[in-house]
Amino acid sequence: MGELILDRLILRFGRRTVVEDFSLKVADGELVSILGPSGVGKTSILKAVAGLLQPAGGKILLDGRPLIGTAPEKRPAVMVFQKPLLFPFLNVEQNIAFGLRMRRLADSKIRRDIASIMELTRLTGLGRRRIHELSGGQQQRVSLARALVVKPAVLLLDEPLSNLDADLRQQMRDLIHKIQARTRITTLFVTHDQAEALAISHRVALLLEGRLRQVGSPRELFHRPADPEVARFFGGTNFLEGRFEKGALHTQVGVFPLPGFNGNGHRLTATIRPEDIVIRERGPYDLEGRVVRTRFEGMATRVWVQSGNTLLVVLTPDSRLTPGQRVRMHLPPEKIHVFPPPPDERRA
Amino acid sequence: MVMVALPFVPLLLWAFSDRWFFPALAPQSWGLRAWIYLFRTAPDQILVVTLQSLWVAAATACIAVAVGLPAGRALGIYVFKGKDLLSIVLMLPVVVPSLCVAMGLHLWFIRLGLAESFLGVVLIHLTFCVPYSVFVMWGVFSNYNVEFEDQARSLGATGVQTVVRVMIPMTLPGIVVAGLFSFLLSWTQYLTTLIIGGGKIITLPILLFALMASGDRPVAAAVSLLFVLPAFFTLFFSARYLGRKGLVGVW
Repeated sequence: MGELILDRLILRFGRRTVVEDFSLKVADGELVSILGPSGVGKTSILKAVAGLLQPAGGKILLDGRPLIGTAPEKRPAVMVFQKPLLFPFLNVEQNIAFGLRMRRLADSKIRRDIASIMELTRLTGLGRRRIHELSGGQQQRVSLARALVVKPAVLLLDEPLSNLDADLRQQMRDLIHKIQARTRITTLFVTHDQAEALAISHRVALLLEGRLRQVGSPRELFHRPADPEVARFFGGTNFLEGRFEKGALHTQVGVFPLPGFNGNGHRLTATIRPEDIVIRERGPYDLEGRVVRTRFEGMATRVWVQSGNTLLVVLTPDSRLTPGQRVRMHLPPEKIHVFPPPPDERRA
Repeated sequence: MVMVALPFVPLLLWAFSDRWFFPALAPQSWGLRAWIYLFRTAPDQILVVTLQSLWVAAATACIAVAVGLPAGRALGIYVFKGKDLLSIVLMLPVVVPSLCVAMGLHLWFIRLGLAESFLGVVLIHLTFCVPYSVFVMWGVFSNYNVEFEDQARSLGATGVQTVVRVMIPMTLPGIVVAGLFSFLLSWTQYLTTLIIGGGKIITLPILLFALMASGDRPVAAAVSLLFVLPAFFTLFFSARYLGRKGLVGVW
């Protein structure tokens, strides 16, 4: 079992508050990512759960039992750091055995556990290697194996992929995903990489400026962001402001029908993802504009289109567009996401 | 190597000579008189003095490391007020001649009953060995990543286990250097040992000076060779062990 509850956690460094009122529930066997830009206190949250940082307030419960006040070595939560932090004076096997040795387990059991965890993390045959003889990816796998072998109730991963190159990153991400699915170990995964968080997690918790902004499935965060900042974090750049009347959003650039939305007279902000705007030569269109700038990004081309005084960013597979060209755009109504209006701004 | 070995040539010549008078370039007759004196005539005295020296140096080195380790850790890792001032204060015993320190402390040691005692000699050696040891460990801990300890704690190591199984192995090369340094500093002390030991605590340098003064060059040379052994041992040890592993066990 490993149901982890963080309840109104407050973390401070001296007088500076890094994390405020952070509440998150991680179900048993779930992999939840804490996503956010660097320096918002993501690592501090993991350290608080691991017992390496004393919270200034709030509660941490594991299966209903409070963890605060328990020494780090007595907590059933193990942290894997950004750097592999393998002990240079021990070989691979001895490194993996570290946690088991600290628990003074029998040698035969230690050998068995190590063998099975090395197989799981694809390290078989590397047991006698010295640490400096390993590649970056292998080191990170040893670090992961060393944490998994003690069978913690909660695994805390602090950007374990950030020091790896793109290819290794992908492999390691898949490995973590696979291991988590097989062991069903409750996992808190910290990252600043949205693609990583979306690909690996059951749920994502977005932390901006020390505050939790939105928790939900990767799809929810990506397609239904709670506010413009969340949308911006996930690469959203197109924001349409206007008034909702008679089933449509009336903006400066145009009128967009929003079926299924109620609330006449509301001032609203809506967003549409760059890849959802369709540039077409024929057929009905919603907006017309002039290409200002293009950037070829391989799979797609990013196009900046000026329409009235609104600059829209469009991601299109068509790489032939050039600056100055006039284009017609279609904004599918079902792709337009309207942000819930803040309570005090309902009627402007 | 030649530079290191050269000064020992006259010592070796003297130690294995029977007669060597001016202006001859080499001894007129060779012999083992000095060594016979050392191992047959006065082995007890030599042994007692060597052991005394060893104990003093070993005790000094152990205490210097025991103090240097936590102090170096605090200075290397943590940021606190007065750190610069502390480094100057630590530097003082190294800058001020040890003779002055010994003279100044002598009176106090007499009052406290520490003069002419083993403990007194160790204490006076510590006045300059501790700063050296602290400086060495300070350097080691400046390059030390405390996250290794966090990792150990998180993996289930208690505070004591973390120190014994992680911190000490990580900083071992530095600990060895600080220990050997302090040992050699203490081992080679003459003046401070003479002042505080007052002739009661006789170490090898004290004996050596006495032999030199008595004019028995071959015996003095033989004792000198004995005296220089730990330094040689240290040299070889550091070349073999530390040369390979480097000073810092962290990357």
